[in-house]
Amino acid sequence: MKWIVTCKETSLLASRAMDERLPFADRLAMRMHLAICKNCARFNRQLQEMRRLFRVETGADEAIAPGLTPEARRRIETEMQKKLGS
Amino acid sequence: MDTLDTHAWLADHGDYLFRMARRQLHSDALAEDAVQETLLAAISAQARYAGHASPRTWLTGILKHKIVDQIRRNVREVELPRDADGEEAVDSLFRQDGHWAETVRPWGNPHAEAELSQLRRVLDDCADRLKPVMAQVFSLREVAGMETEEICKELGITPTNCWVLLHRARLFMRQCLELNGFSKAGAA
Repeated sequence: MKWIVTCKETSLLASRAMDERLPFADRLAMRMHLAICKNCARFNRQLQEMRRLFRVETGADEAIAPGLTPEARRRIETEMQKKLGS
Repeated sequence: MDTLDTHAWLADHGDYLFRMARRQLHSDALAEDAVQETLLAAISAQARYAGHASPRTWLTGILKHKIVDQIRRNVREVELPRDADGEEAVDSLFRQDGHWAETVRPWGNPHAEAELSQLRRVLDDCADRLKPVMAQVFSLREVAGMETEEICKELGITPTNCWVLLHRARLFMRQCLELNGFSKAGAA
């Protein structure tokens, strides 16, 4: 196991750490790197910020994201009628 | 028999389900299909509904499965580890010695709701620009909040491929967000 990791390696560890608990040695190597590297520390914070922004439940989305088109709505309606009639 | 008002499902929840599917599938056509499959499955399963959840919650539960089904079909067509383009694109973000090729610029700290919805729009635009499978795996993790282990299992990809895919997706997302005004000039 290596104790000195590059920024590239750290970015992979930081990403993985968003998904699971890293093995001890990896966690230590990542923390040591993050403590001295401003770029990676920022990257790590931004991963968390991205998650926070994505997961916010929001009514605001309704205002900006389009809904079903009339054509799609009609198509689905037709399929539902077929299903109900069968 | 007390029949459920299936017509109202589409009218009341169609747009909601579509937006939700659209955010995770990054394709209008796939999202429409997922909504249709959800409503058809709901018709078949209405006996099991029995009114113990709000229709929206119940339909949303069905939709989640349909979204995963869609992504699974999509993933099958892609050879993940052979994605040399993705690898090269990652390499270009770093110098030969493993340092960042460019400074990672800090982000602002938006709080106002107007700013936040602007940001979310940029987030969704950037996610749409990822390669389809990457975008979908990323969204299952970051939008739907599924556990990585569950994602790998559902999609039949190895954990290593999952990490590689998520790592690339996150690097590209960060870069796209920075290019689209997330970074704050002059901040520490």
